[in-house]
Amino acid sequence: MKKEIRRMLDGNGAATEALKLARVQVISAYPITPQSPIAEKLSELVVSHKLEARYIRVESEHTALSCAIGAQLTGVRAATATSSVGLALMHEILGVASGCRVPIVMPVVNRALVSPWSLWCDHQDAMAERDSGWLQFYTENVQEVMDFILIAYNIAEHTEILTPAMVCLDGFFLSHSTQPVMTPDQETVDAFLPPYRSKNLFLDPKDPMFINNLTSPDEFSEMRFQQKVAFERALDIIPEVQNHFAGIFGRQYGLLEAHECEDAEVVLVTMGSMAGTAKYTANMMRKAGHKVGVIKISVFRPFPVAQLAGLLKGKKVVGVIDRSAGLGAQGGPLWLEVKAALPDNDTRVFDYVAGLGGRDITEKTIETIFTGLLQKVNKKDANPDAPGVCWIDTHPDAMSVREVIVND
Amino acid sequence: MYRIKLHGLGGQGVVTAAKILSHAVSIHENKFGKTVPAFGHERRGAPVFADVMIDDQPVLVNSFVYEPDVVMLFASSAPDRGIPIAKGIHSESILVINTGNEQLVQQLKETYRFKEVYYVDATGIALAEIGRDIPNGAMLGALAGTGIVAIDSITRALVENFKPGEGDRNARAARKAYEQTRKK
Repeated sequence: MKKEIRRMLDGNGAATEALKLARVQVISAYPITPQSPIAEKLSELVVSHKLEARYIRVESEHTALSCAIGAQLTGVRAATATSSVGLALMHEILGVASGCRVPIVMPVVNRALVSPWSLWCDHQDAMAERDSGWLQFYTENVQEVMDFILIAYNIAEHTEILTPAMVCLDGFFLSHSTQPVMTPDQETVDAFLPPYRSKNLFLDPKDPMFINNLTSPDEFSEMRFQQKVAFERALDIIPEVQNHFAGIFGRQYGLLEAHECEDAEVVLVTMGSMAGTAKYTANMMRKAGHKVGVIKISVFRPFPVAQLAGLLKGKKVVGVIDRSAGLGAQGGPLWLEVKAALPDNDTRVFDYVAGLGGRDITEKTIETIFTGLLQKVNKKDANPDAPGVCWIDTHPDAMSVREVIVND
Repeated sequence: MYRIKLHGLGGQGVVTAAKILSHAVSIHENKFGKTVPAFGHERRGAPVFADVMIDDQPVLVNSFVYEPDVVMLFASSAPDRGIPIAKGIHSESILVINTGNEQLVQQLKETYRFKEVYYVDATGIALAEIGRDIPNGAMLGALAGTGIVAIDSITRALVENFKPGEGDRNARAARKAYEQTRKK
């Protein structure tokens, strides 16, 4: 029988607790705002023997992930966590983890990338790594941080997947927000998450093997193809694991979540902590008679194309909020995925960039978007701005902020 | 849903109070509290704020409080420091302030048009009970005086969040403040 207690945790605290419950045995983490409390609390757990693990002090994120990969290849769960430029510094090694099929689960506390220098939330750090061969989960609240990490282990380590996973939580809005969280006991988690066994590649002095050796063009594509197949299988296996989790813990998750979409005239696609605010705002607008709905993308890699297309079938107007700029692209990364999932030309998909560098995505911002989307319904002629990207919360005088004098 | 904004100065325990408040309602009242602390370059003595949302159902919003039902002022000097204590308030908004100065209370009520002002000398109580100028426990006691949260929930949450001894002293400060809180 599951035993859970209700505790107050912030996102970093929930991530730490989940890694502890997963019985990680080697930790190599380098502190970076707003992830630092994860690195700190894990070290406290190790020192106090509440977690039997080795803590490797490292000088960078590049080394943090390298150590984690080496450790995990010996047959233990290894943990690290990072944020922003720390994730960027891991870029090279992310590919080693995914290409060597080392199923590390890593909390990523979302924070803007430089420059302008910022400590605060947006999704550009994780979006910059969306093709790194890692699974990507995005969380709405602190309970999801805890649950998604546990679920991610089960998926990442699945024989047909063997792919590392990032569990993304919005910097400060989740990492530092204290919320009630149902925290499972160790025994129940052990039943859900059996001890780790390395599969395929492993490090054993008694049985040496080449790992990450030079691979000729004869095999490279095939090994990439194997990764592609894993991502395709993940679309089936993720819901299976989520259902298994729901059977034990009673909390049901999916690749995505639809909120009031069935009869909605307009639907807004969201990701991360903004999804909660969007659902609340949708509830308020429904009370005022507006048929609006929200979709929350929980799994961005693999992207749940068919599920999203099914939910949005027949919708005339869809909005997407991208919490990253997607500079030079036709739209933000989430919009590109949504647009590509909807080949039906009758669906117009509008992109809104919002919440960059820590700007709050407020109920007002969401309401403004919904109102704009509702106005587009039943109009043949789109807003003259459309289909361009709308920077919905950017000040109108943006071009005068820290204006630079241009030399001739 | 109650939306509460806590204003104070770095070192007054504003963020800690916000966390303890959501603990009190979530663990001891079967409600749902969510604390969204402000995140900046905090330092001792500088203005700081934190937000709390409380509801009977899970709080979906992950955003700051812009239209507070309750404003808590840990430092009565806040208005003089340019902190916009009345920003976003509505006709039902109330103020809970750390002061024993009735004249100031009357003045703030008239200037900012709060519906009600609850006031207590939380700093004086903190100095007497915990021996330090950290009024957060006492301010939570004053908040209990409004009826939004029960004083027993506050004192239990204080004991659970502080070290032994420290928690009891803060709980005493909270109860004393609760008993001494007056309304204008």
